[in-house]
Amino acid sequence: MTTTIQYILSGLAIGGIYALVALGFHIMWSAAKAVNFAHGDTLMLGAVVAVIGVDQGVPMPLACLLGIAAGGIFGILLERFAVRPFVGAATSVGWMLTTLAVGVMTEALATLQFGGFSRPLPSPGVAGAVHILGAGVYPQELFIPVFAVAVVIGLKLLQRHTLVGRAMQAVAHNKQAAALMGINVNRITALSFGLASLFGAAAGILVAPVIQVSASMGAILGLKGFAVAIIGGITSAPGVVIAGFAFGVMEKFVEGYVSTAAREIVGFSVMILVLLAFPQGLFGKREVLKV
Amino acid sequence: MRHLNATGFLVFGLVLIAVPLQAANEYELRLFMLFLIYGLIAAGLNVLVGLSGLVSLGQAGFFALGSYTAAILATRLHFDVVACCISAAVVCSLFGALLAYPSVRVRGVYLAVVTIAFGIIVENVAIEWQSLTGGTTGLTSIPRPNLFGIKLSGFAFYWVLAGALFVAVLLIHHLRYSRYGRAMLAVAQSETAARALGINPTAIRTLSFAVASVTAGIAGALYAFLNSYISPDIFTFSDSVRFLLMVILGGAGSTFGGVIGAYILTYLPEYLQQFQVWQRFAYGALLLLVMFVMPLGIVGTLRSLFDRLRPPDPAPASSEGVPAEKSLHHEARELPAELVAGDLTVRFGGLMALSKVSLRVKGGEIHALIGPNGAGKSTFVNTVSGFYQPNEGWFELDGIGLTARRSYDVARLGLARTFQNTELFGDLSVLDNVMVGYHQRLRYGLAGALLRTPRMRHDERECRAAAIGLLDFVGLLPQANDTARHLPFGLQRRLEIARALATKPRLLLLDEPAAGLTSQEIDDLEAMIRRIASLGISVLLIEHHVDLIMALADTVTVLDYGQVIASDTPATVQNDPRVIEAYFGTSLSHARPQEARA
Amino acid sequence: MTSRIGVGAGLAAVTMMSLLSAVAVAEQMPCIGNSSATTGPAAFGGQAIKMGAEIAIEEINGKGGVLGKKLSFIQYDDAGAPPRGVDNTRRIALADKCIAILGGYHSTVAVAQAEPVNDIGIPYVGVLAANTKAIENGRNPNFMFRVSAKDKWVARYLVDQALKASKSGKVAFFYENTGWGNGAIADVKDAMAKKGKELAAAETFNWGDQDMSPQVIRARDAGADVALFWALDREGNQILRSMDKVGWKPTIIGAWGIAGNLGELAGPLANGVEVIQTYTFMGSMDAKKLALWDKVKAKYGLKDPAEIKMGSGVANAYDAVHIIARAIEKAQSYDWEKVRQALYTVDYDGLVAEYKPAFDASDPERQDAILPKYYKLTVWVDGKLLPIEQTAYGKTN
Repeated sequence: MTTTIQYILSGLAIGGIYALVALGFHIMWSAAKAVNFAHGDTLMLGAVVAVIGVDQGVPMPLACLLGIAAGGIFGILLERFAVRPFVGAATSVGWMLTTLAVGVMTEALATLQFGGFSRPLPSPGVAGAVHILGAGVYPQELFIPVFAVAVVIGLKLLQRHTLVGRAMQAVAHNKQAAALMGINVNRITALSFGLASLFGAAAGILVAPVIQVSASMGAILGLKGFAVAIIGGITSAPGVVIAGFAFGVMEKFVEGYVSTAAREIVGFSVMILVLLAFPQGLFGKREVLKV
Repeated sequence: MRHLNATGFLVFGLVLIAVPLQAANEYELRLFMLFLIYGLIAAGLNVLVGLSGLVSLGQAGFFALGSYTAAILATRLHFDVVACCISAAVVCSLFGALLAYPSVRVRGVYLAVVTIAFGIIVENVAIEWQSLTGGTTGLTSIPRPNLFGIKLSGFAFYWVLAGALFVAVLLIHHLRYSRYGRAMLAVAQSETAARALGINPTAIRTLSFAVASVTAGIAGALYAFLNSYISPDIFTFSDSVRFLLMVILGGAGSTFGGVIGAYILTYLPEYLQQFQVWQRFAYGALLLLVMFVMPLGIVGTLRSLFDRLRPPDPAPASSEGVPAEKSLHHEARELPAELVAGDLTVRFGGLMALSKVSLRVKGGEIHALIGPNGAGKSTFVNTVSGFYQPNEGWFELDGIGLTARRSYDVARLGLARTFQNTELFGDLSVLDNVMVGYHQRLRYGLAGALLRTPRMRHDERECRAAAIGLLDFVGLLPQANDTARHLPFGLQRRLEIARALATKPRLLLLDEPAAGLTSQEIDDLEAMIRRIASLGISVLLIEHHVDLIMALADTVTVLDYGQVIASDTPATVQNDPRVIEAYFGTSLSHARPQEARA
Repeated sequence: MTSRIGVGAGLAAVTMMSLLSAVAVAEQMPCIGNSSATTGPAAFGGQAIKMGAEIAIEEINGKGGVLGKKLSFIQYDDAGAPPRGVDNTRRIALADKCIAILGGYHSTVAVAQAEPVNDIGIPYVGVLAANTKAIENGRNPNFMFRVSAKDKWVARYLVDQALKASKSGKVAFFYENTGWGNGAIADVKDAMAKKGKELAAAETFNWGDQDMSPQVIRARDAGADVALFWALDREGNQILRSMDKVGWKPTIIGAWGIAGNLGELAGPLANGVEVIQTYTFMGSMDAKKLALWDKVKAKYGLKDPAEIKMGSGVANAYDAVHIIARAIEKAQSYDWEKVRQALYTVDYDGLVAEYKPAFDASDPERQDAILPKYYKLTVWVDGKLLPIEQTAYGKTN
């Protein structure tokens, strides 16, 4: 019983991170039908900047804000220079490779900065574990899924009640029509990438005290976040968050009852199977074939 | 052209012979051998990426599958190089076909992510299945390569590798310039149009996946022998990215592109070593630079430069073609086809698009289908050509039921169509567009294509001659070598008709062929449709243009709100009060509509 | 038409190819090569080897080099990837024509290198990677040597320590799912069996895993009170944190993967975690160590010994280079086989150990130079990894 609760709690924590990464993919995809393929490195960038800030004697909260801001700027620049020139091409290979290239460069810089080591990001959230029905968990970990849910709700509110949010939805729905309505599609797309990267960097900083900061921390989180986005349906924000939680919890149970190495095998096989059964993801909108 | 092809391969072969003779030491030879292996992967991946337009970021998975298959068989069962390569090819082609299956339903990024997942799964299975793969420690002491029991020394093994790459590039080149290569390009550019020409996109995609996975598998088997050690971390995601980059860097879709990309990326790490700790960064920067400076790759960029400089090829002469009257001639015993639809009903959610529509296109007639916008004309066209499945009802061509058939099956049975919004293969030449239409009439198989058998060459000549004749028929011969997308709009419509005719249809379905044409062009179109009908091909014409219909049609059927409201001779229909009401919303007898627009 | 241009471009590229592959023929010179990770997560390992080797070579060249010629050091990056390690090995041996190769940080690379090293027949001296089978590979003659810890001996040493510390006699084993970790599991089981015991739990994990609670719960429920780690700092830290979460506090003893910055990562949780090493710059230094530290400090601009993340690597590489230089002098030749023979005859009083002789041709186990008696136990105290005898933990233990 305790073990089960432990797996669920640990799974929700890591699943919360997958959900946040997947949400980033959702936002980018909605705006541009393209994503930053190295979105995992946005997480890393946020966390690395925060650690550098702390190293330089910047107060902790300010350092974290700096990290998040750096992530947002990174996202906007990336969209402008690595994604936009390639959107609309016949295949998606262009922006896939450019964003991967930017990821490689970012990781290389972070490795140089840290000499390959992991670095801690201090946080009161990991000072001591709390116990729930015998299962131990850091408050920081409990906060992550809560934050993920808050972000989805915030996103919905943004889309419903602000001009920018409605413009984002219009662009997601139909770019040409949105442009005819006088919406600056390019600006909204850049903004969406910036927003996705803000959340990404925030996720990186949130998870950093739990998993430590290193150049390679984002790679696998990014890939799994994308898998989660596809499972949940990349067009549905609540869908990807639910899928994120489910994926995280499933991983813990596979680790617990099968083996660690089986985790990736099971996880990615599930993704392929879901995609075969539901090409638009579990909660995604179906697109109608037009001839 | 054939002359230059031969020269290209001659030089390629000479280089493969010359390099080992001048390699300064064993290390350099080995590095070159590594390039040959990567070249093999890139050449195969080029079929998938360059021809079929599908992105795979999981080639390292196939490379690993081939490697492990060969290593295990060589170590445990003492298979020789050839047996190992064949086994690796078999295993990889099975997995390749398996991985092609998702492409039926997903494309683009989704498919890329499926391939990434495949690569990661293979890598982790290799880690997990310790008893077979040696886990993370991998497999060591893979025996030296031997062929039919003869040990292959460094140089002998070099010849095996060089031979494998040369043959692979040659075969893939042959495939590229056969019906299969054309079909791959066609499916990549417009799947809809390809289906309407009788091409099964799933089969074509599966073929390109199989080519890419088999070459990667064989490369993996050869790699296991070259390295005599393999472990899971040889086959990671970043290797898959590197393989894809080879194709993009060299030039997707070109014969030597993959090989050139593989060469550069094999030697690049050697030069990047001097950047010390900055080499990862330099690699990323280079990747970025390639995408910006040469998105077409080296060969693609050179080609577009050449294209700008040299004069265009002269168009083929009319005498090179077989007249359309001859190539489209049906046997005397074959009557013109009759299309009959009964009680067709199609619903989209709650919307009734077609309601119990019955229609009969009599053999040899020109039958017009008209109706206001939203009447269900397009739905009817898409249903009888197999793109939509009807909820109720049936339809048949000359008594052969078509109801549950797929679009490419319908096309193969003799029903060809054009599209309201033209669906050309934009990057192919005008002539190639028509030759794609001929796809189903070419009978040579995969082996024939790979080996360029005499029969295949004969069939191809025939196909080309027929295509030239059809271009002549529609008056597009002077533009035969132009890229289809650069044609003016009116000519694009004609090309669609020529392409549809290339399937040798028994019934031609023209979906608003006059839309957007000038009145001169419409007159030409009218003449062309008459000539088509005179060849014994039944025509179903969907049009708004009343003059054209009145001049051409033997029978006119009017659709409104998904129902047939009239079906008779043009003159009768024109005076039918229900038709007038449908078009004008009143039964007022205004002046007759000159051009019905809703 | 398109294919003609394709062919034309093909021709040009192919000509370029044949030109390019003719360049880069290295001149022969007395050098020692090294393939290790100088980029990626284990870049500190490559850095440590570079420091030790360069300082030793400077000393040797200061005294006139070997056989009258100055030695040089060539380092190639393998980023921890075996195929690149294998390529580098061939490059060092066949293109650079060096006299010997120093090994790197990753065991998977070392295992892969064994094949080409013995094929080519160039002496290889491992200075970090500890995988038993990389060196004890059953080949005869064997060109693989090591001046570093060996997992088989490390396992015995650590199992001794573990059983001494354990009250229940139940030991859990946490190992990374890599060539290093998987290579060690046989060694640890073997060492336990020699003591008539079995592991209470053997748990594995991947690089980059963030949460180890399933593994930790299983080990705890098996009743273990000592945990042996074959992990790197990052994953070691995640295990410590998972232990903290589930409220389990066993004694922890680890191989040297957690000798980097575990103290910084885990904070107070790392206190008392014991780590085996061959050498450390931490704590009080004797004259010999101080002299080396002064050189490192001056040459690489360091301020604090804690900045050297893999002190064992520096010292092992330093000793290995001196042993190779002595072997060359003894052999009176740069010839690989002659140098290999001479390695068995070198006596040298080094930083880590007194090598008498460095290797023993009659014993396949003695392709390893550093005997278990020279292993040193260190312990994390408040972010610093100190020799255990200089801490409070040394007294209670």
